Amino acid sequence: MADVPLFELRGISKEFPGVKALDDVSFEIRAGEVHMLVGENGAGKSTLMKILCGAYRADRGSFFSSGEPVTIRDAGEARQFGIAVIFQDFTLVPYLDIAQNIFLGREFPARLPGFIDRRRIYAEAERVLDMIGFHIDPREPVHSLGVAQQQMVEIAKALSQDARILVMDEPTAALSDRETELLFAMIARLKAKGVAIIYISHRLSEVFALGDRITVLRDGRKIADLLPAETTPDQLVTLMVGRPVDTTYTRPSRPAPGEVVLEVKNLSGPSGISDVNLTVRSGEIVGLCGLVGSGRTEVARAIFGADRVTSGEIRLFGEPMAESIEASTRRGMALIPENRKTQGLALARSVGDNIVLAGLRKMFPSGIFVPRRALKAARSMIDKLRIASPTPRRPVGTLSGGNQQKVVIGKWLNADAKFFIFDEPTRGIDVGAKSEIFRLLDGLVHNGAAVLMISSEQIEIVHICDRAYVMRSGRIAGELAHHELTEANIVRLGIHQ
Amino acid sequence: MSTQATSLTAPLLSRVPGVAIVLILLSAIFGVLSPGFTTPANVANILTQSTILLLLALPMTVIIMTEGLDLSIGAVLTFSSIVLAVTVIATGSPTLAFLAALAVGLGFGLGNGVLVAVFDIPPFITTLGTLGIAQGLSLLVTDGQSVVGIPSSIEHIYSGMVAGIPLPVGIAALAYLATHGLLYHTRFGTYVFALGGNREALRVAGISVRGMLIRVYAFGGLMAGFAALLMTARLNSAHPTAGIGMEFDAIAAAAVGGTSFERGNGWLFGTLLGVIAVGVLRNGLNLLAVPSSTQVACIGAMVIVALFIDGLRSER
Repeated sequence: MADVPLFELRGISKEFPGVKALDDVSFEIRAGEVHMLVGENGAGKSTLMKILCGAYRADRGSFFSSGEPVTIRDAGEARQFGIAVIFQDFTLVPYLDIAQNIFLGREFPARLPGFIDRRRIYAEAERVLDMIGFHIDPREPVHSLGVAQQQMVEIAKALSQDARILVMDEPTAALSDRETELLFAMIARLKAKGVAIIYISHRLSEVFALGDRITVLRDGRKIADLLPAETTPDQLVTLMVGRPVDTTYTRPSRPAPGEVVLEVKNLSGPSGISDVNLTVRSGEIVGLCGLVGSGRTEVARAIFGADRVTSGEIRLFGEPMAESIEASTRRGMALIPENRKTQGLALARSVGDNIVLAGLRKMFPSGIFVPRRALKAARSMIDKLRIASPTPRRPVGTLSGGNQQKVVIGKWLNADAKFFIFDEPTRGIDVGAKSEIFRLLDGLVHNGAAVLMISSEQIEIVHICDRAYVMRSGRIAGELAHHELTEANIVRLGIHQ
Repeated sequence: MSTQATSLTAPLLSRVPGVAIVLILLSAIFGVLSPGFTTPANVANILTQSTILLLLALPMTVIIMTEGLDLSIGAVLTFSSIVLAVTVIATGSPTLAFLAALAVGLGFGLGNGVLVAVFDIPPFITTLGTLGIAQGLSLLVTDGQSVVGIPSSIEHIYSGMVAGIPLPVGIAALAYLATHGLLYHTRFGTYVFALGGNREALRVAGISVRGMLIRVYAFGGLMAGFAALLMTARLNSAHPTAGIGMEFDAIAAAAVGGTSFERGNGWLFGTLLGVIAVGVLRNGLNLLAVPSSTQVACIGAMVIVALFIDGLRSER
């Protein structure tokens, strides 16, 4: 490999009002390498990538393309150097079709000015989709696709731009194991073609499995640039958080299971779940696993009363449930959704407002809001859950992912919830904060609550849960008792025979 | 979210959009209640009377698709019509007067666009403000009176026939086809979907979101100026209150037609059906001698019924 890097950023600094997002960061990318970019949330990874692709402008610093000094002032210029980004929040337009999305902003002109050569767009889209082995009609509108398919469209979009440098921001976060394997195979193919890949990940296994080189960012500074062979997962985590962290969370003690809190019998519904049976007792953390799309979230939504069911029975504390979210929450059920930002929190409102939101009826039965009492409740929850917010008045959107998750949990604790459903509680949360979320879950069940936890991270299920149900195609494929709970067993039950 | 069950009940209902059902129902009801409703002359009348609304509803659909709104479109239509009338009386040149009306419409549209895109003022507030300005100017210029004495050449644009088709219907059909082409076959149209669906996608594709938004609102103003020609021709005068409430009909037509106010989900053909539904409703109620104020309430009810049907359709 030539000594000159394909692309180089030198001495990049970027300041936002009140925050130094990047401080003198240098970064180089070589052809045909997978360069892992790791660090906690807020370390500056996304900012650095946004500067690379022209979405932000650096305050200071310089760029070099194959050794030549260049400038990147907007997305168009970044594209000229073959830089393409697959963002975590997809940049897809729901009511355009796949082909239109792939070529958004680069439509082939027809003879009439302003018009699009539609035939060529679909032909080219088919060619690109074929190249990555994604067999789908390019006329399919994007809003009807699942997350994994949308990501494939994103990748196709990047490749259609003859990307030489592909930035992927946590690409496996929403993928099942099989889809992840397909993605890795694709990455290998791209590498062989000389494409450089910058890969942002929170999953250490991926960092070591895929990475040719690792750059660690912390608090806007580059902490290390090393080869996977030079380090270990534990060392890497220490570099990321700046202090040693236990990555394999173990629960020091587990409470004895008590009374049955939730009982689900023969539950079927139009969302594709059929004949689901499960129980959760107080003091238990029960896992609900299976591939993405196996019906885990649908089961949770049906239990919570968010989706219609056609047959079956749901009992909470022995009493049958009405099919309504309001009744569920009033009787002590809480769903902590996968997507905190859109479903769990009012991001622009303060930490305090969010904490009291679900418990308003209980706290203020007269209907009159007493700010002093709300603030007091919020403060005590902030202390109890150790939420890193100096004051309850701070907007919740400014907190880190882990602290936002704590606010959601605090909201339901404040509403006296006794049964919690967690849908992917650690998604998008950095390693340091993960163990704290687990400690919280553990604390919940020690106080007599019951927890049903959905997770795609089998290792988390194995470490945290007391029991687990594995789903396959909308049904419970099997139940694993604590001594049977291994990654191998989860995979075996979850995969189609 | 990932698994979707197809509804087994009412497979037919699930495919027919609410607006079509509403249109069929309305036509059936009026056909029974008033004998004059189904005559060819009345059908032509409905279509002709719908043309001005269509010219407003087309850009309204495009604007709503960008998660925007143009409340000023009716008032801009009024003011353009007054400028047209005043100009043609002063200069005697219908062409010059038409160009002046287009210029007024375009000016207001550009103003809306700049305020929304550059100064980041919410579309509702921006266009509420320009509605007031356009309406106020109309009253100021005319002192509240109609502008009369327009040459008959302009009137012919509304009453004329070409190849057996009323001229305004021909004009509206061309406007529909042009907007269809614009929305589904040009870069501009593709970016309209993106403005409502995912502005970030446009930004990272290197397209100016501001520039596109300005064009979207300018299109609305231009079409209002164009509609002023038909309006003036229809009334054979310009009246400072002629366009009041037209924005309501235009928004209703787009909403009835299934254009959503979120995520760039729009359907231009639905708007065409929505415009005809509004026209059928107004015409049918006129034949039954229902007062105009009650008609507005009926249009409101129709919007709710159509969206209710669409809601049933999408429920799983």
